[in-house]
Amino acid sequence: MLKKYPTVRYVLQRAIWYFLTFLVAIALNFFLPRLGSDPVDIMMAQSSFSSPEIRKQTEENLRKSFGLIVIDKQGQIVRDEQGNAVRASKLSQLFNYSKQVLKGDLGTSFKNKKPVKEIILQALPWTIALQFPAILFGWICGNLLGALAAYRRGVFDKAIFPLALLMSSIPFFVFGMVLVYFFGIIWDIFPAVGAYSLQLTPGFYLDFLLSAAYHYVLPFFSIFLILAGGQAIGMRSMGIYELGTDYIKYAKWLGLKESRVLIYLFRNAMLPQLTGLALSIGAMVGGALITEMIFSYPGLGMAMLTAIQTNDYPVIQGVTLLITTSVLLANFTVDILIALLDPRVKASLAMDAK
Amino acid sequence: MNFLRLITCGVFVLSFAVLASCDKREGGRERGGYPRSETLYLAGSQWGDPNTFNPLVEPWLVAWPANDRFNIMYEPLTAYNSLTGATEPVLGTLVSFDTERVVVDIQPEARWSDGVPVTSTDVKFIYELGKRFPQATTAYVGEFVSGIKVDTIDGGIERVSFMVNKRERNNPLAILDQLQAIRIVPAHVFEKYLTDNNNDFEAVKKIKCDDKPVVSGPYTLEQYNNERIILARRDDYWGNKVLHGGALPVPKYIIHPIYKNNDHFAVGLQKGTLDASMNFIPRINERKKDGVRTWYDAPPYFVPGSMHFLYLNNTKAPLNDRNFRRAMAAAIDYAAINRLALSNYTPAMRPGLIMPEGLEKEYFNAEEVDAHSVPLGDTAYARRILSEAGYRSVFDDRGMLRFSIGPNGDTLPTLSIRAPAGWSDWEAIVNLVVSQLRAVGIDVREGFVDGSQYWPALPSGQFDIIMRKPPVAVTASLPWNRFNAVMSSRNWRPVGDGNSMNENEGRYNNPNSPDYNKRVDELLDIIPLMTDKDSLKAAYIELNNIFLTDQPVIPVCHLPEEYYQFSTKHWTGWPTEKNPFAPPQLPWVGSGRNTLWKLQPVTK
Repeated sequence: MLKKYPTVRYVLQRAIWYFLTFLVAIALNFFLPRLGSDPVDIMMAQSSFSSPEIRKQTEENLRKSFGLIVIDKQGQIVRDEQGNAVRASKLSQLFNYSKQVLKGDLGTSFKNKKPVKEIILQALPWTIALQFPAILFGWICGNLLGALAAYRRGVFDKAIFPLALLMSSIPFFVFGMVLVYFFGIIWDIFPAVGAYSLQLTPGFYLDFLLSAAYHYVLPFFSIFLILAGGQAIGMRSMGIYELGTDYIKYAKWLGLKESRVLIYLFRNAMLPQLTGLALSIGAMVGGALITEMIFSYPGLGMAMLTAIQTNDYPVIQGVTLLITTSVLLANFTVDILIALLDPRVKASLAMDAK
Repeated sequence: MNFLRLITCGVFVLSFAVLASCDKREGGRERGGYPRSETLYLAGSQWGDPNTFNPLVEPWLVAWPANDRFNIMYEPLTAYNSLTGATEPVLGTLVSFDTERVVVDIQPEARWSDGVPVTSTDVKFIYELGKRFPQATTAYVGEFVSGIKVDTIDGGIERVSFMVNKRERNNPLAILDQLQAIRIVPAHVFEKYLTDNNNDFEAVKKIKCDDKPVVSGPYTLEQYNNERIILARRDDYWGNKVLHGGALPVPKYIIHPIYKNNDHFAVGLQKGTLDASMNFIPRINERKKDGVRTWYDAPPYFVPGSMHFLYLNNTKAPLNDRNFRRAMAAAIDYAAINRLALSNYTPAMRPGLIMPEGLEKEYFNAEEVDAHSVPLGDTAYARRILSEAGYRSVFDDRGMLRFSIGPNGDTLPTLSIRAPAGWSDWEAIVNLVVSQLRAVGIDVREGFVDGSQYWPALPSGQFDIIMRKPPVAVTASLPWNRFNAVMSSRNWRPVGDGNSMNENEGRYNNPNSPDYNKRVDELLDIIPLMTDKDSLKAAYIELNNIFLTDQPVIPVCHLPEEYYQFSTKHWTGWPTEKNPFAPPQLPWVGSGRNTLWKLQPVTK
């Protein structure tokens, strides 16, 4: 049908596949947290009750408000022969959930009765503020250094390559802790905990922004340096490969300026690196959970961890939905961009269509 | 090269901008600024995002300090002093308590923050809320208090009598606990909320009470977000004159940072960004050079108040055999646990449910304990009981336990010790216990599980062995409430899904079995009614002896109820062993709050 428009056909094909993946992911997000015990069981065991009757009453009230038991049309709890409340089946819960999500309602947290949307909106800016610049600058600096190392070789490479290798092989949480230990505790240069001075109220005014920037240094570098290291290594090997290609040799023979050659090299070696960038920006919203934990930084990762510990289904679902969506969107965008930008892919699409 | 240069310049400019902002702006008086010398930083009671400050909501949903027993915003009638055992006055003064009634006089000067006097109407409102709304969290009070009588005595003082509910719990001791646990809320405010919402209690629970709440305590909520809660001093607090000779609490503000990670308490105390905290911090003595202090300068550093136990499933073989349980208690090396897992925070362990120190000491009888208990940490003794009871263990060539065989010749199952994964101090304890028990031939293994597997297993009794700290607060009813938490068969239910017990989760002493020891529940029933010291002591000793003989659970350590640790960097004058003017608690619960009137800022 769409044979004449290979690109459109390709986009549609991809879109359908991604939508199917999305559906499977939603179902997994829904069922996986529900494999174990339910949140009410946890809440019940953590509190003490003076009599079993009061306990049962509280338990039923909670289950009712969470929609975990069956309610008849009059709003009464449906009971079995023993008088125990009938628990709602997982399928009916999934049905209700899907209905809500399609209406744009992510539900209400069991744990603190806040709308999930509000929880996500409060945490998301911190996560993006922490991760986006770190990923972007890490990517840019890493690639620059990698390209330089590949091109200049010699002493420059001998210094950068081992350093980058070292940085990229340290797990970022270990590096975070090392930073906290030296800069936060031993030398006491930067704050070790939190996102801003607690005596300030968040808002757009100088003192708060300065305090936030000051608290931002360690978490930022804990992600930035590690990421830059990894990118530098990737770029260096791509660069070395590209250096051996004919077009670079030709450019050198022509006597082009070094910076010009470097830019050609950079542009060609960058393609796979670009995919990596898009993917890490997509995965970013999941939050750097461990970085957030180490620095008590507010963010989505923390919100999700707290939710998982208490089986707070609506929050877990809300956050995983967001992560799934953004990772899929990022992948999709990369697929499309590559098809549009890379002449080789474009050519093969056109070939397929014939 | 222009592109490169641009980016390099950009990075440098950014770094300089960041570094330039690194001047230390702690203590400025900026927008919403709280000067360090007027602000007390306390932490450890709020972990998640603060949601509501409505004191009528279920305690686990309410944010500090409107939740639990915190008494600096909403106040109870009395405060228990865990150091002296005295019931100190707050909104009320304890007049008398006997087997019939607990009598309290209401402070005539007590006022709400809107100027309305605190009266018996407020007291009746919260204590009788359960009669109007069975889902109210204070509904359980009805089992203990059958009615509330109010008389007016000389000087117009209101005298409130809580009548002991003889037909149900018949326990005046528990009423004494409630006097300090139940905080009085302003009836005139909440009655209005109820009327506005057509008496729909669930609708009232949705009110957040976070904007200028009407409180009676010395501090009130100023502002909060997901990173901290800030309280401000109420200079017109009624109790300054009545309870503290006209003095004001010293800190003008209290900030509770919400940390997401246990390590931050140690870092905060060490750096002086935190003034006191209540969490387990290992090797606290090594942080002394940074100004971090505890009640005692030497081990155990803290005042013990709560026992942590290994709960045993008394219905499952071989744990249903008393000899097996006693052998376990004998085989554990408590000193090693204290040294290796608990940074020496436990004083030398003595067997039984009565602590040999503090206020419980008067019920502790060393001869009786020695006569009935197994010797602690005696592996030879443990081996002997096991072999005398017919247990046999098979070890491999390297001396590792392979399996063990019960008296009837069956191979015994490997028992799992459950503990929540990630609770590092408990994990360390369980690791040590496992290696010690296996060494004498008891087949146990670690079972570290997620919270969703740990918590629900407790009330239903679906475990072999489980680490547990029962919710026993340091209150007037210790050690009775500890015995009750471990031995009571009052609400006995068989093990299994849907069957919940919130005490004696190990199912000791089944009332339907022929071996039921009636005496245990009898003693638990009569101790709260005893007023004569000698018979009380005799009853405690008898109960403790039954415990030692049957060993239904194994106490593994005596730890503080709250790890009271503080920093002297910004505030001094904290209570310690040498200056015990208040109990070892953070200044937010019980009579620990008296500390607020005695602290001194280090810099003015």
